[in-house]
Amino acid sequence: MTIRRRALLALPAALALPGLAHAAPSVGATAPALIGTDSNGATVSLAQFAGKPVVIEWTNDGCPYVRKWYSGGAMQELQRQAAAMGAVWLSVISSPPGEQGHVEAPQANELTRTRNAAPAHVLLDPDQKIARLYAATVTPHMFIVDARGTLVYAGGADSIASTRADDIARATPYVREALTALAAGRPITNAVTRPYGCVVKYRGQV
Amino acid sequence: MIHRLFVALLLLAIAAPGARGLESNVAASPRAQASLVSDVDAHTAGTTLRVGLRLRMAPGWYTYWRNPGDAGAAAELAFSLPAGVTAGPIVWPTPARHPTGPVMSYGYEGEVLLPVTLTVPPGFAAAALPVQVHASWLVCERICVPEDADFTLTLPAGTASNSTEAPLFAATDAATPRPAPWPAAVSPEGVLSLRIPGLDASQVREAWFAPLAWGQIEHSAPQDFSPAADGLTLALRPGAEFRHAAGLSGIVVITDHTGRTSALELTATPGPTIIPAAILPLWQLVVFALAAGLILNLMPCVFPVLAMKAIGLAALAGGDRRAARGQAAAYAGGVLVTFLALAALLVGLRAAGSVVGWGFQFQSPVFVAATAWLLFAIGLNMSGLFEVGGGAVAGLGSRAAARGGATGSFLTGMLAVVIATPCTAPFMGAAIAGALAAPLAVTMLGFLAMGVGFALPYVAFAAIPGIARRLPRPGTWMVVLRQVLAFPMYAAAVWLLWVVTLQAGPTGMLITAGGAVLIGFALWATGLAQHRSGIGRRLAATTAIAAGVAALALLSTLAAAPPSSTTSASAALPGEPFTPARLAALRSAGTPVFVNMTAAWCVTCIVNEQVALAQPAIRQAFIAHGITYLKGDWTRRDPAISDYLRALGRDGVPLYVFYPAAGAPPVVLPQILTEQRLLNEFTRAGI
Repeated sequence: MTIRRRALLALPAALALPGLAHAAPSVGATAPALIGTDSNGATVSLAQFAGKPVVIEWTNDGCPYVRKWYSGGAMQELQRQAAAMGAVWLSVISSPPGEQGHVEAPQANELTRTRNAAPAHVLLDPDQKIARLYAATVTPHMFIVDARGTLVYAGGADSIASTRADDIARATPYVREALTALAAGRPITNAVTRPYGCVVKYRGQV
Repeated sequence: MIHRLFVALLLLAIAAPGARGLESNVAASPRAQASLVSDVDAHTAGTTLRVGLRLRMAPGWYTYWRNPGDAGAAAELAFSLPAGVTAGPIVWPTPARHPTGPVMSYGYEGEVLLPVTLTVPPGFAAAALPVQVHASWLVCERICVPEDADFTLTLPAGTASNSTEAPLFAATDAATPRPAPWPAAVSPEGVLSLRIPGLDASQVREAWFAPLAWGQIEHSAPQDFSPAADGLTLALRPGAEFRHAAGLSGIVVITDHTGRTSALELTATPGPTIIPAAILPLWQLVVFALAAGLILNLMPCVFPVLAMKAIGLAALAGGDRRAARGQAAAYAGGVLVTFLALAALLVGLRAAGSVVGWGFQFQSPVFVAATAWLLFAIGLNMSGLFEVGGGAVAGLGSRAAARGGATGSFLTGMLAVVIATPCTAPFMGAAIAGALAAPLAVTMLGFLAMGVGFALPYVAFAAIPGIARRLPRPGTWMVVLRQVLAFPMYAAAVWLLWVVTLQAGPTGMLITAGGAVLIGFALWATGLAQHRSGIGRRLAATTAIAAGVAALALLSTLAAAPPSSTTSASAALPGEPFTPARLAALRSAGTPVFVNMTAAWCVTCIVNEQVALAQPAIRQAFIAHGITYLKGDWTRRDPAISDYLRALGRDGVPLYVFYPAAGAPPVVLPQILTEQRLLNEFTRAGI
């Protein structure tokens, strides 16, 4: 960081530029107030699910790390498991037009159908507003918000950062463990883990 | 890195006609070409050799460092080796940063080699050593693609010599972080302090840290860099996995103002809380600057100026308050204008790439000598040798100040600031570092606040009506006071003379002292002229001008005087300052010579001096072999050193050249110096 550039970043005014601000939401604090439009055109907000746990998954169907989770049905299984315990699953697609993973609403629904996925909503976030709100870095980046609106998990889908579907069975299943702990009212052991995957396609940045 | 590799490949094409290339099958995709290469062409039982995954990526594609950052994955190598042969870990070259929105990745573009050391056991008797590896790596552009391949490289048994790929290994080694030979500490807030003795951190253009593991810091958070005494600090934002008690391991990548990059690997131990200057909030910066300016009045540098101010105050005795206020305002104006001018100059010079700090003008012996003469002249004036009329010359101070001239007060204010700059008051380091690191408006505000603090006591003195009234009535006591206060002026001039001696050696001292005699003579003649008329006056005035011109001429010879060699902090290895003449003399006498071209802002130089040159074994070798050590300090521009560098095809430091005894051709040593490499060189020279 050069002296000049650092100086600019140190300017309090820089905080007014949402594009530069980087404030990852903290586990244990109230989750950022997410509002977005889903693939059916409905407005979805985190507030409307108060009283239910919410799982937020960043996704990009072209990303090899996402494919690892969908090709063998592992992510779909996790989605159904979450639904069974009363949790709401939000899949967020933040790729802008022209980038890998970008879809319009009909394609998003088509993807859900062909992949036999079971999210409650697929949120379309082509301007990365939600991604920046959560400082989502990769696909799949996973967040869990508890029934009271507190962020209780942020990190990877599991512990092995690879693109091999075989590794899922060998890895520590962080998200499944967190959901199980949440359902049982136990504290979550690994509440912050390393997210792994493809970079979220932030627009205007190389 | 790419450039260095290119040079290395070019060298290899010219220099190694007999060497054999050792490269495995190549796995090619539109994104990358991958292969396994070896640094030697054969294996020998009981030795080590190196192999590496070479990735040549298409433009725009990159692969990752050991800690990939917020996304991506590091390459993995799974070796299948004959029994007994073992593979070490990948030694990762220094990565570059790839920010993407709030996502930070660490990786490599272009071509990269990921080397691994293989250990062949003593009893290994096979005719060939097949090195098999399953490699997997991720390449990303806008999208990421995992790739993998199997490579086999077979090394015959025999005496190993460098393969055609050896230069690639050497270039990679040069671009790999070296273990920091000094301790580092991390505060509970995540401020990393790195000690690099002798480093002029104000010459560092950029520094950044990357942890070895994910979660230690927020990778994409700004890293506030501040120069510190003998090193630097980086304010990092701790990540989810940061535990203060566990310390922090990673690499620091430092680019100096010539654009040269060095990387150090370090493990910072838990240290105390640090609040670096760079993160001072604005109000605190202003308060610090005010306090610093205020306290600066008590520093010894300002003492002679205080004397002048005391005379100014004495002149207020019995004077009317409007004049007193006018003078105070003029003095404050002089102070503020000079502070702002200094700030503007500092910012301008820094923006232009030259690295200067508070008091930088005193780095110039010419400036110091001129200031010494000015103080001497003011002293002579106070002693009554000559009088100063109104107008611009009133800048010489006391007389004009005593008379109450606004111009005089303004110039006294300017002089006070200029003379104060070599001194640093408490709070000042933090205030100046903070101000210079801030945007231009804040920089100016910081310096302005310092000026206000500096001018405050005098202004308060003049503005409070009670004080002036308490002073005794004007009279002879004022003349005596003035004469007494001439002596602090002389003392300050002597101190500056000493500074010149440090900077420019005995010659510099002679020139400055001789100049002072000329100045004294000129002013004496001026005084004489003031009390004469007609031809005597003209004669005296002409003499004064001639002596003044002679003094100025001396000043220009001072600019050309050879610099003193007292600048270097590391005196571990006794040496002599480099001069081309000395080198030529030693060469013609057949004495072996080791030339080290270094600079206080060159991190690589300082690391080399610590890990290699300062070692006892090297010191002994120098003594045992009668090697003369010539050290050139390029911290300040030095045309002799620039010419020498250019003659050897270099445009910067470090440069190490070894001249073996009796006419053997000189050897230019690598810029990454190790103790072993140096000792090998001496052995090879047969001394």
